[in-house]
Amino acid sequence: MDSEILLGDEAVARGAIDAGISAAYAYPGTPSTEIFESLQTYVKQQKLDVKGLWSTNEKVALEEAIGVSYCGKRSLVAMKHVGLNVAADPFMNVAVSGAWGGLVLAVADDPSMHSSQNEQDSRYFADFAQVPCFEPADQQEAYAMTLDAFALSEKLRVPVVLRLVTRLAHSRALVALGERSAQKPLRYVDDAGLYTLIPSNARRAYAGLVGKQAALADYAEQHASNALTIRGEQLPGLIVSGVAWNYLREALGPRLEDFNVLRVSVYPLPVKKVRALLDASSDVTFIEEGYPFIERFVSALGLLREKPLKGKLTGDVPRMGELSPDVVRRVFGLKVAPTLTIEGLDGVLAARPPRLCDACPHGDSYNLINEVLKELTPGMRVMGDIGCYALGYYRPYQAIHSCLCMGSSIGMALGAAHAGVSPSLCVIGDGTFTHSGMTALVDAVHEDLPVKVFILDNSIVAMTGGQPVSVSDEQVVDLVAGLGVKREHIRVVSPLPQKHAENLAVVREELAHPGLSVIVARRACVRYAKEIKEHKRERDAAHHHDGGCQDCTGSCR
Amino acid sequence: MNFDLVLCGVGGQGVLSTAYVVDHAAVEAGLHFKQPEVHGMAQRGGAVSAQVRLSDGPVSSDLISDGAAGAILSVEPMEGLRYLKQLRPDGWLVTDVTPLKNITEYPDLERLFHVLFSVPHVIAVDATKLAAKAGAMKAQNMVVLGAAARFLPVPLALLERHITALFQPKGERVVTANLKAFRMGVAASAFGAALVARGVPRPLVARALARLDFQPVEVDELVVKAWADRLAGVDGAAVAQRVFASRELLPVDVLTANTLN
Repeated sequence: MDSEILLGDEAVARGAIDAGISAAYAYPGTPSTEIFESLQTYVKQQKLDVKGLWSTNEKVALEEAIGVSYCGKRSLVAMKHVGLNVAADPFMNVAVSGAWGGLVLAVADDPSMHSSQNEQDSRYFADFAQVPCFEPADQQEAYAMTLDAFALSEKLRVPVVLRLVTRLAHSRALVALGERSAQKPLRYVDDAGLYTLIPSNARRAYAGLVGKQAALADYAEQHASNALTIRGEQLPGLIVSGVAWNYLREALGPRLEDFNVLRVSVYPLPVKKVRALLDASSDVTFIEEGYPFIERFVSALGLLREKPLKGKLTGDVPRMGELSPDVVRRVFGLKVAPTLTIEGLDGVLAARPPRLCDACPHGDSYNLINEVLKELTPGMRVMGDIGCYALGYYRPYQAIHSCLCMGSSIGMALGAAHAGVSPSLCVIGDGTFTHSGMTALVDAVHEDLPVKVFILDNSIVAMTGGQPVSVSDEQVVDLVAGLGVKREHIRVVSPLPQKHAENLAVVREELAHPGLSVIVARRACVRYAKEIKEHKRERDAAHHHDGGCQDCTGSCR
Repeated sequence: MNFDLVLCGVGGQGVLSTAYVVDHAAVEAGLHFKQPEVHGMAQRGGAVSAQVRLSDGPVSSDLISDGAAGAILSVEPMEGLRYLKQLRPDGWLVTDVTPLKNITEYPDLERLFHVLFSVPHVIAVDATKLAAKAGAMKAQNMVVLGAAARFLPVPLALLERHITALFQPKGERVVTANLKAFRMGVAASAFGAALVARGVPRPLVARALARLDFQPVEVDELVVKAWADRLAGVDGAAVAQRVFASRELLPVDVLTANTLN
């Protein structure tokens, strides 16, 4: 058996390939990005016939994966936790319709919000959709559970969630790899009605999902990773899940022998084992990474009084942030190691936050925006969005004043216009625009209020490491025009210091226009010049050559 | 045997490359390991860190505990200090002494170095300048790795083998430069240890090491003796200060040791 050093993310990718997937889809987002990134690299290296792409957004990615599943083949879709919000509609409904070929969603949560706007726990989503969820503790389990997830998905015809967290997604270890299964043949669904969720069918399909619950519960109850260890009657009990298991073992060491322990890695919750642990133990402490998910169920929100229960709801475990061995030691009142005390240390530590690169085009765009802001109502807010340009919140720019979720800036700017802000400014990157900003622009076209959309077009998804954008260059303008923005109010500027005055004149003209304007600030990312060229080459090579496309590096001309 | 390691620096300084070398060397040495790292936002010139947990048995937690690291390897002096609470009180801070000032609030250097040299076990080398001399500006991470190599539970030869493997795709010249940088670090670290063995107080050794121009070979015994005599002498502290105040790297030879005034 081969062993390789893999990130948790990479272990999932390799598990999916060894499970015989025919396609994979993803939208980049920390800490999930390396799943598809490594999968794509491996597929290229090994010349495997696995299809897929960086999709336009997570909803589309999941729908593409569902398409593969409905045709009887296995597919993986990867995203970060907040990406599942975007994909929630197909997710909730594919749970009802069921999968046909194995369908696995690898979702990476980010407790402590290292690179995210919230700490949402994807186990809730799996529970909400009534589908199973695997929560691996280490890289080896990430690999093995990906294989398990595909097998289960196909056996019970349900989509399966594989929940990762940052510390597993972005940690390396040696992983023993197994045999690769062959891909599944194209095989149409046997009962197409179940996949056509018009109400009459949906009721039948939903009954099917409800009907699967007993088998799912049985599966979780019997899975070896849901391990119950009763060491003695009325010993204190522990329920621990996912990576928290690692911290618990590290923190307690041999003291773990003094506890009854239920380790949970596969959901739905193995309730019989929970019952057995409760019965055998004097009290129970919950150690879980993320929200107090298991604790809420078992304690009935603290209403249950049969045994003393301790966890995040009771304040015995910190409610926010990720766990660590030291956090767990403190929960159990154990000593932490002594550390050095160096006089004056705090005085010489300055924060080093990420910042825009030198010569980054976004910097020039923000200089433009700041310049015109000085001429507008004092205290005016600019709606921002998600990407490198969110760093425009920081000094020296301080040019954006919101960052909520992918694609939100245009809708919020329209709302601000309705609230009386005029002109109402917003910025959005080219990748974020196609991800989920486009639909809001359609509303802005309908209202034609003085909303001023700055599309910061740097030809790449830079923040997550240089993934391709869905449209680029003139396509962005055509797209904006196609959504209904008047051509004369789509202005393309090149954000460069030497063009500042010229660009300023353009922006001022558009600010004077009483309706909607889109200013495309187009200049390639300085960091990913090579990748941008490569993406263009790949795009051009992939399309059907009809001789009509401009600047094609393929064989059109 | 458990050995925890913190690797740190700024985005683009090769922190993850160092992790690659240590991971692969550890696996070949038959050790278990886990190695978490920071991705994402930090790529944009922010603080970057990784941890390596080495053990002869299975490793549970991906994260290390405070006060547990046997060494911190830093490619930037302030970044090394940032993770000090993770260091064991008897652990080593091994760092490049050259500041990377991409922020406006970078601390006053005199205060920074005062704090740095009050860490009980510190090796500070001018990895930036040594790497340039080795022929690869970016090899400062390998100088630091070399300087820390004697503390790691993996043989030197395995580290060198995986430095070679890592840089092979970039060509022979890059491999040679990185190996040279690594060996400069090894030489610097061994020189420091030899001075301490000859009774030179640690803070003086640390300051002197930071401005010396090491070659990728062990420093000659006679040279060690000459420097030890100067630094352990009555004006040792002043000599160490003078070496540290030098703008250029000083040759590690008998003449420099004897003529420094």
